[in-house]
Amino acid sequence: MKPLLLLISLLILYPSAGFAEDSANGGDSALPDGEEVAAHINSRDEGQAVSRKLSIEMRDRRGKTRQRETMSYRKYYAEEKRTVIFYLAPKNIKDTAFLTYDYIAPEREDNQWLYLPALRKVKRISASDRGDYFLGTDMTYEDIKLETRVSTADFSFQTLGSCDADGKPGLQIDGTPRTADIARELGYSKTLSCVDSEIWMVRKSQFWDIKGKLLKTITISNIEQIQGIWTQQKIDVENHKTGHSTSLVFSAVDYQSAVPDDLFTTNAIKRGL
Amino acid sequence: MSALTGLGLVPAAAQSLIRKSGSYLAAIISAALTLLSPSLHAVELQSSVISSVLWSADSGSLKRQNFQFSLEPEFILRFDQQIKLTALSRLRSISLNALAPEKVTDAAYSPYSKPLFIGNSSEFELREFYLEVPSDNYYFTLGKQQVVWGKADGLKVLDIVNPQSYREFILEDFDDSRIPQWMVNIETSLGAWDAQFLWIPDQSYHVLGDEGSLYTPTSPLLLPKSQGGASVEVEPFKRPRRTVMDSDVGLRLSRFWRGWDLSLNYLYQYDNFALLYQRRSITANGLHVDIEPQYRRTHVLGGSFSNAFDNWVIRGELAYFSDRYFLARGLRDSDGIAQGQEVSYVMGLDWAGLENTLISGQLFQSVALNRESATARDKTDTTMSLLVNHTLLNETMELRLIWLANTNIGDGLLRLRLTYEWRDNLKTWIANDIFYGSEEGIFGQFDANDRLTFGVEMGFE
Repeated sequence: MKPLLLLISLLILYPSAGFAEDSANGGDSALPDGEEVAAHINSRDEGQAVSRKLSIEMRDRRGKTRQRETMSYRKYYAEEKRTVIFYLAPKNIKDTAFLTYDYIAPEREDNQWLYLPALRKVKRISASDRGDYFLGTDMTYEDIKLETRVSTADFSFQTLGSCDADGKPGLQIDGTPRTADIARELGYSKTLSCVDSEIWMVRKSQFWDIKGKLLKTITISNIEQIQGIWTQQKIDVENHKTGHSTSLVFSAVDYQSAVPDDLFTTNAIKRGL
Repeated sequence: MSALTGLGLVPAAAQSLIRKSGSYLAAIISAALTLLSPSLHAVELQSSVISSVLWSADSGSLKRQNFQFSLEPEFILRFDQQIKLTALSRLRSISLNALAPEKVTDAAYSPYSKPLFIGNSSEFELREFYLEVPSDNYYFTLGKQQVVWGKADGLKVLDIVNPQSYREFILEDFDDSRIPQWMVNIETSLGAWDAQFLWIPDQSYHVLGDEGSLYTPTSPLLLPKSQGGASVEVEPFKRPRRTVMDSDVGLRLSRFWRGWDLSLNYLYQYDNFALLYQRRSITANGLHVDIEPQYRRTHVLGGSFSNAFDNWVIRGELAYFSDRYFLARGLRDSDGIAQGQEVSYVMGLDWAGLENTLISGQLFQSVALNRESATARDKTDTTMSLLVNHTLLNETMELRLIWLANTNIGDGLLRLRLTYEWRDNLKTWIANDIFYGSEEGIFGQFDANDRLTFGVEMGFE
């Protein structure tokens, strides 16, 4: 499909994809292609390990809010990235913990566990649950796992043009699930992201559900360098179908203190912090 | 809360506990706390208030009403080097006499773990009280605690470390009905394996509803059949009393291997169900039966596994019991108990192919082996379970259906529950529990005890 034809098709299919300010540049051959942009995003320095506090606020369409306080850790290993999130408050969810091993090899299924204090058991979770919403938030298990990265195993990416990335030059890329099964599993038929091309960080993403309706928008803000690493400190997710929204605020981000390996074990999520 | 408050309170509270229970472990913990006091850096206090109203069936109509109130304060002290002390207690009041806290076989509790019954409608219980001490390659958890083994939901094969209260049969959440015990729990790494060693000197066993209780067992699978015209006398429970020699020990080795969560489990314990030995005699008034409740030891050897494939999670556990004691059938067996062995297993399959929905099926089978005489139970006993769980409105609403069905007798239990979370710390639920089938069955014996519950839980921090 010719780039111009593709763009027209996209505008017909997804008229709300209008946050691209300069999408007429979609055919600009000087722009890096989508896979190249995705590779830049995924090779961005995230530190070998990080620990941080994460406050989650969930708000429904009537304005009722729920607050969660968590502590999370992430560490890269030779073959996988390990992430663990411990819930600290409020009492009804305290001691719940989520652990994931995300393997580099795309053919290898991720391993995920959830500790549920009411059962006092660590439950194995199917990695295909990744399209399910994570503990009441508007982020799916997959969104939580990827953070600001993108999955080149699940999506093919194309550069549509340039965009305004929070006042900075950006590249607009769209992602199409590689198979119908992946689309169904993730619950997305399309993504459209504005990527800050100076620091290769996604600033804003929109997601369409498998019926082609706009599902949600993710906005990443308060991006600063912490210990030399570009770090997002706020993620806002708005679900257009339900009117529900989630804000994630990161604090006490630390890339330098040692993160012990035994935090990423089922024993650790059972014991809690 | 200031550290000074904690300094003053903790040792006093622990000393009071020692006076009440005489527990050596509590004494050790108290001494440790006194030593640790200077390094105390955080104190957390949380609490839950749970109130529920229950309408229970009486011959088909919801005649019996119960109001229940629970206060569950949890106290956590954090010290340097990640040392942590947790204390969790429960004050509970129940209005219906047939569900009263003291209407249980309380002789099954060890003196150190027995709740304090207040009048005939209330109880206070120190549910948990343990010190966690991480140390290089070891992790010590010392004190009164719950240890949960296995991968099954609602059906127990390896989740037998702690005994359980059956005051409400199996309708109470396991977290509430499990009886925490004083124990030493040491975890360490052995290469690729994680090892857990348990020493449980606390001799508490399963607690059942006593005579006149709503959930007193009546099934002939659990109790000897009355022999026409015989007089029956139940003698006091013969409890193992030697602190060291009669303690339980356990070992679990677990690891993650090529996507599989694996465990090997060993437990040397007293079977938590009392065995109802019979002594029959002929008196001037006819046949007389003395029932002597006793406990017997068994080795338990087993293992568990789980793995995820696409939308599916497969999980299972298996256990072999070297010494099982079954209720004998008829009068041929002289003491009414037939010795043998048992193999039990659960196979479970979870499917998460629909958004925010979990459908889970389990097959549980228990096989009695090498029985020395005919038993009241069948050689193979099969129970199946189905769980359907669906969450809505960003997990503020949860719909849950649990169906348990025994295929030997054809009885079962159907449980429906709708939970709604109004705020972070306020939730309500409505639940319906329906028993069906022959009164000879484990579930069918409570066919007249269907119930409807409405509950509210509030949390405080």
